[in-house]
Amino acid sequence: MAACAKGLDKCMFSLRLLRSPRLQNERFLSTSLGRLAPKEPSKFTPPPKPVVIDKTQTVAAQRKFLSPEFIPPRQRTDPFKFVIERKDMIRRRKVLDIPEFYAGSILAVTMADPNASGKINRFVGICIQRGGKGLGATFVLRNIIDNQGVEICYELYSPRIQKIDVLKLERRLDDNLMYLRDALTEYSTVDPDMNPVPFSLTEEVPVNKMKVRMRPKPWSKRWERPKYNVQGIRFDLALTPEKMEHAQKWAQPWREYDMLKEYDTAQLEEQILSEVQQAMSK
Amino acid sequence: MCTNESSDGCLLQAVVVKTTTWFDEHLTEDNQEYMRKSMAQEYRRQTVDKLNPLKDEPWQRHDWTQGSRRVGLVAVKLGMAPVWTKAGERHVVTMLQVQDCHVIRHLSKEEYNGHTAVLVVGGKNVSPFHRSEEQMEMFRNAGVPPKHKVTTFKVSDNAVIKPGTPLYAAHFRPGQYVDVTAKSIGKGFQGVMKRYGFKGQPATHGQTKTHRRPGASGPGGDPAKVFKGKKMPGMMGNIFVTAYGLKIWRVNTKYNVLYVNGSVPGHRNCVLKIRDTVLPTRSSTLLSPPFPTYFTEEEGDLDEDLYDDNLFIHTDPSLTLT
Repeated sequence: MAACAKGLDKCMFSLRLLRSPRLQNERFLSTSLGRLAPKEPSKFTPPPKPVVIDKTQTVAAQRKFLSPEFIPPRQRTDPFKFVIERKDMIRRRKVLDIPEFYAGSILAVTMADPNASGKINRFVGICIQRGGKGLGATFVLRNIIDNQGVEICYELYSPRIQKIDVLKLERRLDDNLMYLRDALTEYSTVDPDMNPVPFSLTEEVPVNKMKVRMRPKPWSKRWERPKYNVQGIRFDLALTPEKMEHAQKWAQPWREYDMLKEYDTAQLEEQILSEVQQAMSK
Repeated sequence: MCTNESSDGCLLQAVVVKTTTWFDEHLTEDNQEYMRKSMAQEYRRQTVDKLNPLKDEPWQRHDWTQGSRRVGLVAVKLGMAPVWTKAGERHVVTMLQVQDCHVIRHLSKEEYNGHTAVLVVGGKNVSPFHRSEEQMEMFRNAGVPPKHKVTTFKVSDNAVIKPGTPLYAAHFRPGQYVDVTAKSIGKGFQGVMKRYGFKGQPATHGQTKTHRRPGASGPGGDPAKVFKGKKMPGMMGNIFVTAYGLKIWRVNTKYNVLYVNGSVPGHRNCVLKIRDTVLPTRSSTLLSPPFPTYFTEEEGDLDEDLYDDNLFIHTDPSLTLT
């Protein structure tokens, strides 16, 4: 609207110019002069595209992120069951703000605990795993307190959780950071009084390409095996190339071609995302 | 094929021609489509009609007395979900949806067994093309579409309902206890370790070809036989199993879904039978549930969700345990 109004003004201005008698005479002159010295036709420059700033949508809603527990698993369940479960999840999300986070982000969770002093319990840790679907979705936070590794598995939709803060939002090279149990302790320590790192919602989530040094073997799981598909470990410091090759024996290269195991969630995700965003904005 | 010997000694054979076929074998594609659509429309009309109370006069409604039993429902198992109480404890519930539950027949005491009257109830509409004529006659008399599961509920005389009345999930209320019966998941022919939990034999230390066998089968020379009912390998599962005393945490009246505590026999999307508990310590005398059943037109509007007192509702603020 603003653009065309501006155009109209220009148009009116030029019309007024043309109507003035002085210019009319000069106009004839200028056109004749133009014919004498032919210029190359000026290149057509399209008008600048108007920048639309939609101020009705909040910045948070513009960010297209669907929490992984909304995506239903590949089962023979009636989709209606997921619909009613999603309604309950949205009801809970309207009361408790569950922010966006990934495995590798540092979170602080405040929970109601009958055994704690003041009945409130605050735990800060790095998220190593996000599991479960629907109302039973969980995430595991890991931290090292007084030289003791502590992991707590929280349920996202539990009513005992009072607050979830993301102190540092980032991603890692893997979705599952269980290998931090066998890594050196410095990689799992998080300062409980850490200040939240500011993050602007319009940027993409940064991926921390850190590769972790491991304690000497034996590990709790054989992380070098291809089924875990771990990208974030410095295997060159932990294992010899022969051992790495030996681990490749357990590779199943046919799995990526197995069509029956395919589960394409793109359409489902879009549909569920639009449904959730609509319901949350009400 | 029957053979008859005639008087002159030669055999006469009467050949019986089999005419069983599926409904759309001899129909064109357009006609098949039309049949399916027309049936679906017919059933929708039938269910909608039954909701209108002015159509038929319902039977006399009596009040609840001590010792009276009311009908149950037929529902479909959707799946399971977690649920939290106001004290912060976590329980699991199974979601059961009551789909198209209608009363089909009433058999009085004399017709049934001389002791109790019975109501035949069906749930979950299904296509008529694979039901026999006798079954279809029964459904037609009630004016109801054919059902996947048809069960009988023993009922006291003051709780009889007219055939054709729809039954809803609001028939049960939160805080009540129910028994759920369904066919358990079939496991096929199973050995004695899985079927009865026998311990089997050790894996090593010289066992020759004996690791999961039943071992001894009885005493010895005195009976000199194996008693009847001896636990042996056989077909496991696919039998009717009842789970008793399950609490109802929540009832969704809009979609007819019951949230029932714990797990329930049967696979997902299986059809089950729900009735009031038989257990004496969990009977529903305290709650006064709708008797004989919940009628939408008479009891008016209920909230979309009915919750148990102890249940945490997701729209409430987070718990602060003090």
